[in-house]
Amino acid sequence: MLDQPQVPVAQRTNPERSFREEVRALRLSDGEVFRGEGILAVTKAILQSGVAYVGGYQGAPVSHLVDVLVESQDLLDELGVHLETCTNEASAAALLGASINYPMRGCVTWKSIVGTNVAADALSNLASPGVVGGALIVVGEDYGEGASVIQERSHAYALKCSVWLMDPRPSLPTIVRCTEKAFELSEASNTPVMMELRIRACHVTGEFVARDNQPPAISRNHRLDAPAPHNYDRISHPPSTYAHEKLKVDVRLPAAQKFIVEQGLNELFPGERSDLGVIVQGGITNVLMRGLDRLEVEGKIPTLVLNVTHPLVPDQIADFCKGKRAVLIVEEGAPDYIEQAVHALLRKRDIDTKIHGKDVLPMAGEYTAEVITDGLLKFFAQSANDIDLSRPRERFEAARAGRSEAQRILGGPLPLRPPGFCVGCPERPVFSAIKLLEREVGKVHISSDIGCHSFGTLAPFNLGNSILGFGMSLAAAGAVAPVMQKRTISVMGDGGFWHNGLLSGVASSMFNRGDRVLVIMQNGYTSATGAQFIPNTSGNRRDGETTSDIATTLKAMGVKWLRTIRTYNVGTMLKTLREAMSTDQAGLKVIVADGECQLARQRRIRPQIAAQLKRGERVVRTRYGVDDDVCTGDHSCIRLSGCPSLVVKPSPDPLRSDPVAHVNNGCLGCGLCGEVADAAVLCPSFFKADIVQNPGWWDRLKWRLRSAVIGAMAGA
Amino acid sequence: MPRPITILVGALGGDGGGVLCDWIVAAAHAQGLGVQATQIPGVAQRTGATTYYLEVMPTPGPAPTALALNPAIGEVDVALATELLEAGRMIFNGFVSPDRTTLVASTHRVLAIGERAAMGDGSFDVGRLLRAVKERSKEQILFDMDQAAEESGGVLNAVLLGALAGSGKLPIPGPAFEAAIREGGKSVDANLAGFAFGRGHARGELAQAVREHRKRRAASNGVEDLIERARQSYPVSSLDVVEEGIRRLAAYQDRSYAALYLDRLDAIHGLGSADLLRDVGRHLAVRMSFEDVIRVAQAKTSRERLVRVRTEVRAKPTEPVEITEHFKPGIEEICAILPPGVARRILAWAERSGRLGKFHISMHVRTTTILGFARLRVVAGLRWWRPHSFRYVEEQAEIERWLASIRAAHPLNVDLARETAELARLIKGYGDTYKRGLGNYREIVAQVVAPALSGRLSPKVAADAVANARVAALADPEGQSLAKTLAAISASGVVVRQAAE
Repeated sequence: MLDQPQVPVAQRTNPERSFREEVRALRLSDGEVFRGEGILAVTKAILQSGVAYVGGYQGAPVSHLVDVLVESQDLLDELGVHLETCTNEASAAALLGASINYPMRGCVTWKSIVGTNVAADALSNLASPGVVGGALIVVGEDYGEGASVIQERSHAYALKCSVWLMDPRPSLPTIVRCTEKAFELSEASNTPVMMELRIRACHVTGEFVARDNQPPAISRNHRLDAPAPHNYDRISHPPSTYAHEKLKVDVRLPAAQKFIVEQGLNELFPGERSDLGVIVQGGITNVLMRGLDRLEVEGKIPTLVLNVTHPLVPDQIADFCKGKRAVLIVEEGAPDYIEQAVHALLRKRDIDTKIHGKDVLPMAGEYTAEVITDGLLKFFAQSANDIDLSRPRERFEAARAGRSEAQRILGGPLPLRPPGFCVGCPERPVFSAIKLLEREVGKVHISSDIGCHSFGTLAPFNLGNSILGFGMSLAAAGAVAPVMQKRTISVMGDGGFWHNGLLSGVASSMFNRGDRVLVIMQNGYTSATGAQFIPNTSGNRRDGETTSDIATTLKAMGVKWLRTIRTYNVGTMLKTLREAMSTDQAGLKVIVADGECQLARQRRIRPQIAAQLKRGERVVRTRYGVDDDVCTGDHSCIRLSGCPSLVVKPSPDPLRSDPVAHVNNGCLGCGLCGEVADAAVLCPSFFKADIVQNPGWWDRLKWRLRSAVIGAMAGA
Repeated sequence: MPRPITILVGALGGDGGGVLCDWIVAAAHAQGLGVQATQIPGVAQRTGATTYYLEVMPTPGPAPTALALNPAIGEVDVALATELLEAGRMIFNGFVSPDRTTLVASTHRVLAIGERAAMGDGSFDVGRLLRAVKERSKEQILFDMDQAAEESGGVLNAVLLGALAGSGKLPIPGPAFEAAIREGGKSVDANLAGFAFGRGHARGELAQAVREHRKRRAASNGVEDLIERARQSYPVSSLDVVEEGIRRLAAYQDRSYAALYLDRLDAIHGLGSADLLRDVGRHLAVRMSFEDVIRVAQAKTSRERLVRVRTEVRAKPTEPVEITEHFKPGIEEICAILPPGVARRILAWAERSGRLGKFHISMHVRTTTILGFARLRVVAGLRWWRPHSFRYVEEQAEIERWLASIRAAHPLNVDLARETAELARLIKGYGDTYKRGLGNYREIVAQVVAPALSGRLSPKVAADAVANARVAALADPEGQSLAKTLAAISASGVVVRQAAE
């Protein structure tokens, strides 16, 4: 990559990522069968509901909602739907402000809990006046296996803001119905509705019968001639806010509860054991059902599935519990909001049904099949010892014993496989350089951030002291830098810079005369979430022009010490870091580490190269290699790079036992391994190979001549 | 209602696990079977472990209200893994069970970062993985799908799909899977080829060529008599190593240097332990063929290497290849080939002036040009000078000291002698790596071996201590483990103190 021309950040586009199939699914009409993943079903359902605007900030597992719509511009234009790719979740939540004054339906999406945290201010100010057009927030509940954020429940936000929370049973028809009903619920109670979808629910496959998309009545295609008349009641400012608070409990809550019951949003699965019952969050119904099936009691225990987990409907819960000996509440995560609420409402009505929940199930952690089974066994043992569970219990115990046996054979934990930087990633060299810097100056306090670069905190780099949120790394060094003898280094991505880092970090640091070092990884996308466009990419899907340049922005903010460096040159990066750490100049020192996201780059250039080769054009392919009889198997190179294509293989030397380094065929020729070997003075094993494909006559002649002479000179 | 067939897939990011699931879902749909898939896809990056879970109804008709989204221990019918450690992970987590699970897995290993970053051999014990695979699953379909993909020109996920089809565990005929691949519309031919290969293999119709890993032996040039000499006197168990040592050193330096190797070994042979002879034979050959710039130039300009590089980078026969070498010799590397007197003076000056370890010449030599290659040949041609070089003299002295401690250790305890021999493993590499290794080696010799030889530490305890220290030295490059281990050894009080008087 060092020798290859670099595409300026303003020209980085990512045209190869395509959702053609998904876009087609969004056009299905009445009676046609939709097949696909959960999150795409939600996307179709909001179009069927007549949304006038959609927005969001990307993040697993809900990124696809906006991503697919970005590629459906034709469809959105036909319907008149406005799409806003927001720069953060606060901006997305504020978008819903349109529904405060106008009877327009809107939907926004983000990853929770983190996104909801960012959106919190706007969310409160939205929930207080309430809405006249249906407002839906689809949150990806990033919880349990595969989650990448702190483990907290979005439920708390629903409770404290009086926003309703749906948690649909993960079956596509239910998810679609809940999405459509969410808008109606929102309008019936003038309250925004949040719908949480866990990771597996977003990716679950299934089918449902589609309906026609509904063009909204007010839209880009049907504009209003005048704004809503001034109405102070719609503004979240005192004294309106005092009225809003009362409205929430006196008017909106009962309206919502009425709607939930009338529309049958929660589902009751009957069962012959009228003395027992289970109340479960819709989202984990499938785990529960399989658990009951495993205990051979499926269909026997009445089950109340809460597709709406806030508000609860006290009458519904009381009716369900009344006359039962015991009811189990299956509620994932802490605190146990639903269980507490059920306890309180039964107590108030003097219903003495015994409530189980977090006493037989764990307070914290994902409710997996094993956890649920274990909890059910305990519940039945305490509440219904007439059910013979000996056979299923034996099977369950045998499976657990089998696992212990397997772990004994394997003899200890298996090597972890954490995510890491891709082959050829432009961010890896920065961490290699920081490691080399630390060899010279000793350990440095590294303030890390959210994004691909947070993998720098993992092996083999193990660099980073804290992560405080997206775009927060500079702010998080605010009180560390003044007490350190050495300057601190904050690492931030360009995604994080635009999301929050510019104001929370840079502005605050400048204002407070902070003397810190900030490294901004400018790869041109929010890569960790699937390479979405950001203000410094050309690819805002409209006109292909860059909105804002980072270096220009920083200069305008008064940053004096500013360097833009191509990341792959480890030597230069090291020199620049050294200078930033040692210069006498006070104030914020920013290094813009520039290198295009390799995943995006490969998506763009691969088809281009394939076409060139097909046309018979000369193409030079570069890759690196290790001479396996020069390598002695110390693997310093791997510890300083961690490239997935830098692997080990058995030593070809019959006298050596340690495996040697090897560059596999995944190599993209970025040159980092060679650069690191050079900058860290490691060893002479690395070589670069330029393979000339479709060579011209001059290439061939030169090659033949050289080969003949070299062949004659070569040693044994 | 019949129970669904449950399928768990363990893959690595970039293996195409998602596409594999799409194929299975599409094929099941086409057969009118109820099906549900979900995934924990990990992040957008192409590393890290990913898992997928599917349920397929065995017969056409409506599926139950709720198919599961989570696998349950002891309830997985088919476990698919694109790599052996990921198969091990599913077993470790209890999802593979001997009464139920058919395990379809590739046997190749993609080492995790912790395994790769180790300073020696850090890879997980494959024997344990294979034993768990055999003992903890009901049926196994195991082969190297990575190689199969390469042989068939397909992709690993297609081979895995083929193996699944060939297992006959799903009520879906082969053509339905092929139709799903065609419907997917991407790299159809390659994927169909991979599928056919995997399916044929699972049904036992195809054998896979065993990928050969060949150890490269040095050429024998006029040392047959030395080899004969070794054969006459040494036990058979050591001969493969010793013969390789002779060939290696003759190629590295010359015949008489190889003869010196045998002379040194004779003294070890005289101790009477065949195991020790083999150990020392191996390490001595490596130590005597230490890495200096002459050796690197030799290796980089050998005839065999030119061919090897072309194969490794997959250049077609008609494609020219340009090779650029990364060199960065410093003062020490240059001094290594100067006469000892001169070298010592330069090194002393460099140390005084703070230039040692700081001054390097960065060189990118293109060995596919005539001049570039010729430069390295000139350096390789300095072989005749090597015995007069500073590094040679230093190395020989160090080797003699090492051999002397082995000889001294043997009468005390044969394990101590073998462990002392094995310590040579620490000395490897170039530049800082070499210095660090040599430093660790000397530290262990000084703190454990020497006290044992002088009777201040029991030889049996010392043998264990040397082994522990060696492992610790390879645990982290900062030397923290070694420091801790050495501290623990001296603190354990086994050092027999001399009388104070």
